[in-house]
Amino acid sequence: MKSNMVNERARLYHNINVIGFVIVDMIEYLDTHPYDKEAIEYLNHYLALKHQAMAEYAEKYGPLSIGNVPDTDCNEWKWATQPMPWEGGF
Amino acid sequence: MQNFSKNYNQPEYVDQYPIAMAYVPWQQQATVFEDLNAAFYAGTIFPELEKPFVGRRCVK
Amino acid sequence: MWNYEKRLQFPVNITQPNAKIAQVIMSQYGGPDGELGASMRYLSQRYTMPYPEVAGLLTDIGTEELAHLEMVSAIVYQLTKNLSMEEIEASGFAPYYTDHTLGIYPQSAGGIPFNAGAFQSKGDAITDLTEDLAAEQKARTTYDNILRLVKDNEVAEPIRFLRAREIVHFQRFGEGLRLIQDKLDAKNFYAFNPEFDRCKC
Repeated sequence: MKSNMVNERARLYHNINVIGFVIVDMIEYLDTHPYDKEAIEYLNHYLALKHQAMAEYAEKYGPLSIGNVPDTDCNEWKWATQPMPWEGGF
Repeated sequence: MQNFSKNYNQPEYVDQYPIAMAYVPWQQQATVFEDLNAAFYAGTIFPELEKPFVGRRCVK
Repeated sequence: MWNYEKRLQFPVNITQPNAKIAQVIMSQYGGPDGELGASMRYLSQRYTMPYPEVAGLLTDIGTEELAHLEMVSAIVYQLTKNLSMEEIEASGFAPYYTDHTLGIYPQSAGGIPFNAGAFQSKGDAITDLTEDLAAEQKARTTYDNILRLVKDNEVAEPIRFLRAREIVHFQRFGEGLRLIQDKLDAKNFYAFNPEFDRCKC
């Protein structure tokens, strides 16, 4: 069903946004707390999750980074043909 | 003359620091939101840094 | 160097155009306390910062501010997309439209184009971090002011997110300043400029 497909895409996309955000906030914390081992482990955990989530999204829907282009099909340069993020709808 | 008694209960007694300088307290023992979705909408993963705005003019 | 991720840091989905509020919000793109100024300030200050953690902090926050100027631009874009000539004229948007049509351009709410006079890169570690603390508070106040004006929750949500980030950045710059203080002589923090002076006289 189409709405399930749309929901799945939105869910994956939202997940990437949340994980990406956790990473940014933790990076800035680590800049001023560079010896917080727990925080580094926490960050590494989410970096791995983000990598996975980006690859999964790219495979199914299209690349969110140039690094994910190899996960997408070679017949179309989706990086440019798909809508830009400021168009909204996500 | 009124005698204002100060409250020096804080563990970081900033008034003992050298003057003519600005000091922001360190974030220590940082706790992180369990619900990261809530953190996303709060704008930070650290609950103690969540300080929402609720101001209104409310004057006719 | 920079990579680009094809997503906004926080989603912007605005269904109701509003040129009046767009005029105000665009100040957070190119205005004196906006995200472009913030980004350029931090990314400029980092080169001569002699303490790597603080240079790292300036780089990371400066980079996040680029993602924020993108969000503000997206908000203005969605608020002004598909405006009719009648809406443009009625909302007071005609002066901006004359110079830029519906193009996104960095300027203040009052129409002054973005300029580097809005920020400093003073080349002194204490001074630059103190400037950064002020910058984050100015941005926060601007977002407070915008939140009083905004009635549409689709607009308020990303604005609230951007405001929350300013408070976190203030804390981080405060900690950066503490790091700098730890490297200097507490008896006299101003004895010399760690970014410039190489020896005592």
